[in-house]
Amino acid sequence: MSPGQPVISAAAADIKPIKKAAIVGLPNTGKTQVFNNLTGEYNIVANYPGTTVEMKRTITRIRDQHYEVIDTPGLHCLYIHSEEEVAVRDMILAEAPDVIIQCVDASQYKQSLLLTAELLELETPLVLVLNAMDAGGRNGPAVSGPELERLLGVPVVESSSPRGLGKDELKAAILKARRSTLGIKYGFHVESRIGDITSALPFDLLFKHKIAVLLLLNDLFIGRFLEMKLGREKASAVLAQVAAILREVKPNTRQAINDRRNQWVDRVAEGVVIKQKASRPGFAHYVTQASRHPLLGIPIFLSLMAVVYLSVVYVSGALDKVINFLVVSPVTGLITALSLPPFWTDMLIGNHGLLTLGLFNAICTVLPILSVFFFVFGCFEDSGYITNFTVFSKRVFGKIGIPGNAITSLVLGFGCKTMATLSTRGLTDRKEKFIAVFLIAFAIPCSAQLGISMAILAKVGVSAFLIVFGVLILCEAAAGILLNTIIKGKAESAYIQVIPPMRFPSLKAVCQKTYHRIIDFLKEALPIFIFSAIGLFIFDKIGLLALTKQALAPLITGWMGLPKDIIDVFLLALARREAAAGLILKMVDAGALNYVQSIVAVVVTTISFPCVANVIAIGREMGWKAAVSMTVLIFVSSFVLVGALNWALVLIFAVR
Amino acid sequence: MTRRVEQDEHIEQLWYMKERGEGSVAFLKRIMKGAFELKDLQELVGRGLVELSPDGATVKLSEAGDARARQLIRAHRLAERLIADVLGGGDLEQVACEFEHTVSLELVNGICTLLGHPRECPHGMPIPEGECCKLAKKTELSFIVPLLDIKVGESARIAYINCKNDQQLHKLEGLCVRPGVVVKLHQTYPAYVIECEGASIALDKAVIANISVWKNFDDPLALVGVKAREKKPVATGLAGFIGSFFKPAFKK
Repeated sequence: MSPGQPVISAAAADIKPIKKAAIVGLPNTGKTQVFNNLTGEYNIVANYPGTTVEMKRTITRIRDQHYEVIDTPGLHCLYIHSEEEVAVRDMILAEAPDVIIQCVDASQYKQSLLLTAELLELETPLVLVLNAMDAGGRNGPAVSGPELERLLGVPVVESSSPRGLGKDELKAAILKARRSTLGIKYGFHVESRIGDITSALPFDLLFKHKIAVLLLLNDLFIGRFLEMKLGREKASAVLAQVAAILREVKPNTRQAINDRRNQWVDRVAEGVVIKQKASRPGFAHYVTQASRHPLLGIPIFLSLMAVVYLSVVYVSGALDKVINFLVVSPVTGLITALSLPPFWTDMLIGNHGLLTLGLFNAICTVLPILSVFFFVFGCFEDSGYITNFTVFSKRVFGKIGIPGNAITSLVLGFGCKTMATLSTRGLTDRKEKFIAVFLIAFAIPCSAQLGISMAILAKVGVSAFLIVFGVLILCEAAAGILLNTIIKGKAESAYIQVIPPMRFPSLKAVCQKTYHRIIDFLKEALPIFIFSAIGLFIFDKIGLLALTKQALAPLITGWMGLPKDIIDVFLLALARREAAAGLILKMVDAGALNYVQSIVAVVVTTISFPCVANVIAIGREMGWKAAVSMTVLIFVSSFVLVGALNWALVLIFAVR
Repeated sequence: MTRRVEQDEHIEQLWYMKERGEGSVAFLKRIMKGAFELKDLQELVGRGLVELSPDGATVKLSEAGDARARQLIRAHRLAERLIADVLGGGDLEQVACEFEHTVSLELVNGICTLLGHPRECPHGMPIPEGECCKLAKKTELSFIVPLLDIKVGESARIAYINCKNDQQLHKLEGLCVRPGVVVKLHQTYPAYVIECEGASIALDKAVIANISVWKNFDDPLALVGVKAREKKPVATGLAGFIGSFFKPAFKK
């Protein structure tokens, strides 16, 4: 137990202090799934590295012991490459969890062993979870759990997480987790250097051995950790002492450390592999390869987009009708039949009514589209297509100067822009990061928007859909090229990305995820839908709305060619873009927008209004100054762009 | 001739000093510790390899001395590479020190070619380019080729990774992309995709360019330029000598 950790009164004998269990592992090894299984909570999981960007904590009980379970973003090894990884290491070093649970992808177990070796060095009780045991048998070398347990000296649990298998075994393993002495031995020469450094470290510092090794390896971030832990003055004294020792260290010591590690990993990996005939690559293998092939990838991408488009249009269209028939018509009928005073009828089901614009808009217009879209998108995520798509799309993104690492974040933006923005933490290069964050905020529609935009444009015609997405891609490309030329410096970080093999999506996992996303949407957005409807209603009643419409008429009707009523949409978009999109959908249905106007309206809502959560995320990643200037820049440039688009379309289609 | 080795040592140290931008005799004394001999230095001046300033405070290599030092340093650092990468470690410094004074220029070029013309020693110091590097980066003798030159679908064993960026190297190592493992190239465009220890990894061309591999890694004869069927007498001499080192290491 680390000093400074709150200890719940030991006098109350039946209440034991809460222990900490940290779940760590390489990216995309199923950490969040284990977290969900262990705690019974639900967090979004995806077959995509970097799904978890923040540490999550929750308290759960295992038998009579309470554990604070901590879910962490991916970590390759304790020698750190990036800011997001340093957070995980600092957490481990500072909080000294009582048990560490390492998730290992059974089909790629060897990659995880390096981290295992380092975790053993911490001398904290460790539990290994071998995930995707079923997939391991098919695609890669099979690994023997019991043998691994013997070689590592720590409990190993085999699990197939999505099905929740191995949950009880894991709980039992956590309780019996203990230290192992089977980690790496560096040999006399290196160990004595480590000893020298250890003795220079303060007596009461935890993990001195590991910290000494990191110092020996010239880790970039460990000095910062010592500063945080010991205070600036003491840390710099210690570091100066360490630097003196390091000067005496033979230059091949670092190589010796790495060699020992690699030998250890090789030995363990060789010991646990279950020899089997090299199986012929299966169907999934070929699909995976095709999906990122420069030519074959195109039809695959297009057909998947078609699947999304058709299901959003037809399935959600049908759902829409059902809800309309079951809920909206009866309720509207009832209210009309009640013949309330006109003010109340207006407030409930008028143009800016609480029900029309709030509740019905949310559950009848937006919800069906979102649920279908979330389901299809969830299938893609779970299948592993999206990571392979990043490789495929590197061609396009590369052309506009976006380096490989940023692409992973950009593609994540199609899911949720806020998450994508937070995931840019993994980018080390400032220029790269700025461009990625800007482009995510700019013309990439998030999943909710994408779904609704598809539904709107489907009503106008497939050509409208193609025009809008063509325009968005052009905007994004132009912005990318522009930023690349304007911002000085050369992005030089290297693209190294593990890509998961594709698999058939697990229906259960996808349904679960869709369900939770919908619940989250309702919880988060429904109140905003309703309040913004009320706000708009009041705005309308006191006459401010008409005034605003008049004031902005030159901009709206003159420049952008949209009807005055679109102001309602813009005001809603400030609160929640789905609400705005829902209203556009209704206007299209009512024939209030023509072909060009629909296109312009969709583009405006997609790029002009960054969502609040996204702006907050930008602030956290880039600082508030950058967040505000980016938002203003996006707002202004988008209105200029949209006006230009309007005039171009008017010229082309000779409307009016 | 008697103090040739010691004098070579001085020349080498002068090269280090040149790399660091130092030129004072005092500095030379300090880094050579007890091995410094004024007599050797004067003799080197006499041989026209070293230029000493009139006041005796600064010292530098003459053109001829520079060429000699280049050769020595090249031999030293290549020997380190050979020991570290191919012969599996050991005490780099001592062997390399003895090695540099005894090998011929041809043998150094041979080793350089065999190793695929590496640019840095294991400590990260630059290896001076030799004639062989300039002439041929892709001669038939280079058994180690850049991973870039491997065809899609082929496998190769990684010989070494010539990477300036420490973090990148660690990241690769974390993914088990390191000397000794066999990788298979799946795709080269839009990104390179290699399969390594069961995982598919996408990489930039810039990263791939740093990786050198043994081609035909499981056929030791091919390593020394002998095709198993046509028994060409190529494997005699240098190639045969060096080849004999590696045969045991590549037995499966």
